Amino acid sequence: MTGLRVALVALVFLCGSSLAAPDVISPSLRVKQADRLVDLASQLVKINTQMVFENTGAEAARYVILVVDEAHTASMAYINAILVEPNKGGVKPMKLVETTVKGQERSGHRFYRVDLKTPLSTGKTVTITLETIHSHLLEPFPKEISQKEKQLIKYTGSHYIFSPYLVVKQKTTVNLSARNVESYTKLKPVSQADQSLNYGPYENIPAFSHDAMVIHCENNTPFLTVRNLQRAIEVSHWGNIAIEETVDLEHTGAILKGSFSRFEFQRESGSGLSSVKSFKTILPASATDAYYRDDIGNISTSNMRVMSDAVELNLRPRFPLFGGWKTHYVIGYNVPSYEYLYNSGDNYILKIRFIDHIFDDMIVDDAVTRIILPEGCTNIKLKAPYAINRLPDTLHFTYLDTKGRPVVVLHKTNLIEHHIQDVEISYTFPRLLMLQEPLLLIIALFLLFVLVIIYVRLDFSINKDEASENRLRIAGLVDKVLSHQLKRMTAYDAYDDQLNKLRQIKDLNSFNSSLKSVTSDLKAETQAIADHQTKLKSDGPELAEKVSELQKLDKALKEVLAQQQALYVEKLVPGKINRTAFLEVDGPLVKKKSDIREKISVVVKSLQH
Amino acid sequence: MDIELMSRYVSPVNPAVFPHLTIVLLGIGIFFTAWFFVYEVTSTKYTRDVFKELLVALVAAIFSGMGMLFLMLWVGIYV
Repeated sequence: MTGLRVALVALVFLCGSSLAAPDVISPSLRVKQADRLVDLASQLVKINTQMVFENTGAEAARYVILVVDEAHTASMAYINAILVEPNKGGVKPMKLVETTVKGQERSGHRFYRVDLKTPLSTGKTVTITLETIHSHLLEPFPKEISQKEKQLIKYTGSHYIFSPYLVVKQKTTVNLSARNVESYTKLKPVSQADQSLNYGPYENIPAFSHDAMVIHCENNTPFLTVRNLQRAIEVSHWGNIAIEETVDLEHTGAILKGSFSRFEFQRESGSGLSSVKSFKTILPASATDAYYRDDIGNISTSNMRVMSDAVELNLRPRFPLFGGWKTHYVIGYNVPSYEYLYNSGDNYILKIRFIDHIFDDMIVDDAVTRIILPEGCTNIKLKAPYAINRLPDTLHFTYLDTKGRPVVVLHKTNLIEHHIQDVEISYTFPRLLMLQEPLLLIIALFLLFVLVIIYVRLDFSINKDEASENRLRIAGLVDKVLSHQLKRMTAYDAYDDQLNKLRQIKDLNSFNSSLKSVTSDLKAETQAIADHQTKLKSDGPELAEKVSELQKLDKALKEVLAQQQALYVEKLVPGKINRTAFLEVDGPLVKKKSDIREKISVVVKSLQH
Repeated sequence: MDIELMSRYVSPVNPAVFPHLTIVLLGIGIFFTAWFFVYEVTSTKYTRDVFKELLVALVAAIFSGMGMLFLMLWVGIYV
């Protein structure tokens, strides 16, 4: 045990030391040409820096270091590096590894190492684009505005591209959302053209240079932030995945100063420019049964448009959102499971988006996605496209659950549109467990019926009513007699049928074989009736008499049938009798038979009352 | 197991037939339930037959249970 622990400690130490080994910024590398595009046209700051790295040293470089400066690290939601190869016709995403750099351990900058597939030899160049997206970096300035004022924002950055290498030549373009620029720092050469500012070219700027750039301009685009997103994905193996999102939305632009005038808002076109009246949410193409509501019910001001590749939901909150105002709503829809669920035997993989689109250029501060799997799932594993914090699994109880459904809880902060990516949840689920739900229902109903069966057998009466007991018993016996009588008559019908058949086809063998069962039936029924008759004698002598009359009639009927049978078997089938003589004998027998049947039915009727 | 080796999951019962299944199964189930209760209240302790009661109850429970399941699925309670 101690040996194991020592080995573990050594391993951790080794790993730690290998991670801690700082990378070196090669002095022979430099950026030959850099173009930066800073996009301030929405609430996000999107910085795209294309750099051409050149190796001026003798040794080949195996990696380059990219850096995000201190002021931009906290707000960074997304970072991506792309290898640009124009002669090979395309761009290729590269792997970024966060690292530390010698001599910069104390700084707040964040360094990333990008390994080059082919080492950069002397005199060669490589073009890499670094893309970073920042949330909550634009600062409304002034912080508070009245309803009729425009929203102004302030961006603070650097005139120079922040680079660990010398930059030979660089240019920066800043895209704005409006022409109206209050002020901007003017490090020459600089020019303003329409909705953009052009800085540079600046030449031979040393590594880690910083020169404050401040841009103060108008931006009335929606400054909406999802403060808290609760997304629940409920998987049913009966063919459906239900998705529900609970959204806490806040306008994070300049806060509204003074009162809100609905009159001005409706009448004047320039009123409430920065407010958000509605926004568009895009759902998957297969989404159905969408709903949009909050705590007090359905919000009717929404439109759904089903298009070929998506479902567009135009949502209008109950009130326009001004700076600092919040709203809270729930949106839900169903998607068929075959779109997102894959299986092979009892192994399943759910491939579904961690978050989904809420509005364009969205910011989600905090997202919790709960994936509710069917009851009885085991062996749950997560595969995420980016670092997601998996919280301890919980249980969810809903209809027809016994021990609860396992819930995978995933958490991440500071998300943007680029995080709309699939996570893969793999699990094992025995298919037979699907029968659990119908079986629960069946057992519950059956128990209810059994309860009724028991209840009707309970007797809570204090004194015993002999007379009615007696009546009931007699009625029960008569009932039984009648049911046996009915069966007996059916047997007689069969007897008759067989005789008719014999008369027509004259097949003695088949007649004899089928007669056997009929006679045994008759015997059994007659015996049963006789048994009940003896029981009846003591309780209801009158009824017993009727039953005995029934038995007498039955005997007579049986005799007639026996005569008929004898006639058929002995005379008709061997052909010992001619037609007229046969009819003379058979006719009265048939008549007698129907007379007795009539009498029997009269007796049966009298018994029924 | 890799997702490329897997096939899309198809539910054992096509959701398009949930309404039909509900109506047929629940119809049969209600018939047997009615029969059961009619039998319970009309029979006396001298006439009733426990095997018949249990048999009718079982059939009623099976059909009503399955019918209720598909009713839940039809109305959107995906269990």
